[in-house]
Amino acid sequence: MKRILLACSSGMSTSLLVTKMKEEAEKRGEEVEVWAVAQDKAEQQMAHADVLLVGPQMRFMKKKFTVKGDQLGVPVDVIDAVDYGRVDGTSVLEKALTLINEQQRALQEQGGEK
Amino acid sequence: MNKIMNVLEEVLLPIADKLNNNRYLTALRNGFMVALPLIIFGSIFVVIANFPFLDQVLSEEAYTAYKAALDPASAATLSIMGLFVIIGIGYKMVEQRGGEAIYGGVVALASFLILTPQVLEETTGVIPTNVLGAEGMFLGIFTAFIAAELYHFFVRRNLTIKMPEGVPSAVSRSFSALIPITFTLTIFLVIRVLFSLTAYETVQNFIYTLIQEPLTALGSGLPATLIAVLLIQVFWFFGLHGQIIINSVFDPIWYSLNDQNLAAFQAGEELPNVVTKQFIDTFIVGIGGSGMTLAVIIAIFVVTKSRQLKELGKLGGPAGIFNVNEPVIFGLPVIMNPLILIPWLVAPVVVAIVTYFAMSSGFVPKPAGVIVPWTTPALLSGYLATGNNIMGAVMQLINIAIVFVIWLPFLKVLDNQYYREEVSVDTNDKNSAATSTSTTTA
Repeated sequence: MKRILLACSSGMSTSLLVTKMKEEAEKRGEEVEVWAVAQDKAEQQMAHADVLLVGPQMRFMKKKFTVKGDQLGVPVDVIDAVDYGRVDGTSVLEKALTLINEQQRALQEQGGEK
Repeated sequence: MNKIMNVLEEVLLPIADKLNNNRYLTALRNGFMVALPLIIFGSIFVVIANFPFLDQVLSEEAYTAYKAALDPASAATLSIMGLFVIIGIGYKMVEQRGGEAIYGGVVALASFLILTPQVLEETTGVIPTNVLGAEGMFLGIFTAFIAAELYHFFVRRNLTIKMPEGVPSAVSRSFSALIPITFTLTIFLVIRVLFSLTAYETVQNFIYTLIQEPLTALGSGLPATLIAVLLIQVFWFFGLHGQIIINSVFDPIWYSLNDQNLAAFQAGEELPNVVTKQFIDTFIVGIGGSGMTLAVIIAIFVVTKSRQLKELGKLGGPAGIFNVNEPVIFGLPVIMNPLILIPWLVAPVVVAIVTYFAMSSGFVPKPAGVIVPWTTPALLSGYLATGNNIMGAVMQLINIAIVFVIWLPFLKVLDNQYYREEVSVDTNDKNSAATSTSTTTA
């Protein structure tokens, strides 16, 4: 189960994406949990997520979230503006999964060195 | 053009970052969020208490009794919203730093009450509710900031009573807050006593006359409002959430003005302010979202022929009815689109000016001070915001028409661009398909 957290100003516009991403994940047979929250809840919810994607209109929050993300080992990135406008579930899901995989690989490599 | 954009973006991003991540503004915004459900609850009952035609259907006596029965709902929430904002800010200030947040909330509240006059005319032992609403808003906000800072400072100084081992942690926690709270509240008591020696008599009075009155007077004027509206649009043009950035500065002013109108509305007096929270939320933003893009979606359905825009209309339409318009802003796109910059900036300014004069001339009633949730669809929101008056919906219709007309020429140019691209891609596809089949047959 991969847990994808989306955040925007009030969790409204990202919730549009949630539906699309779930549809796409189902098509692929990928087990995911996707949910959207308002930006003030994002830090608190990060502990339950594998990745945090921020709406492009809130991209000025990325720096703040990254600090927390580094502590928790949760990668943080901004959703591409074009994908956001098209409510492109496919491409955003792709991005989320890539980030999760990269993070896991990085963790494994760290483990290997030890 | 691109260079200018990049430079501007470099200027705006740090501003947005600063405003949005500023400790005080974050606490302020989130503090208002705490109060919001209560404010909306109170608003619902103001709306119910003022249903149209009731005064004609019911006898005067029954109508008065009906109103009196519902009044406590808003009196306990909307009219004393400052109280909840203060608790919210105090709570969020301490929570941000990982302290015991609930103590932040109560210490802010107690500090505010210490500064509050506790006498009304000759009666002592009372707290006038008017200072818990709009009038005390600014003092409340400042007090919450300072009280939470002091509390946190004393906690960090470790001025706490250490309990011997074996004492249950809940017990020692209840004591750990004792000293910081005592110190903080004592400071506020001293402040109160010092102010009672001045001509202002109360801190409430001092903040109100020196800061709140001039600021709200400035904020209720058209120039400041237009600047705020323009700034929201400029931030959005760069794909940054304009409201969340600008509102954190303007909300205290807009809510105070709103509360003044509510008090007048409930007393049946003339409403003092045009510019209020609801003026912005319902008549400038709440018609499809920032930039009033509901009119743009309508225009897309009426005039466009490109697939891209038609698709956008379908995607953005349902969300747009509820004032969520990120699909339009990022999909049209509005952001960084020089062609769209003109209608994007001009339309809300024109709408703000027209609405302002329509209301100040009395053609349309001023906002009644009820808070309508921002996701309420246009027309309904206008009706509710003006205290159940159909002219509020008419005003929104007029605004939709204004935005429609201003956008139309620009949208057509954009549509033609997209349409031509689509046609040329289509014919290229056909040509290449034709050549590929001919090569395979050959």
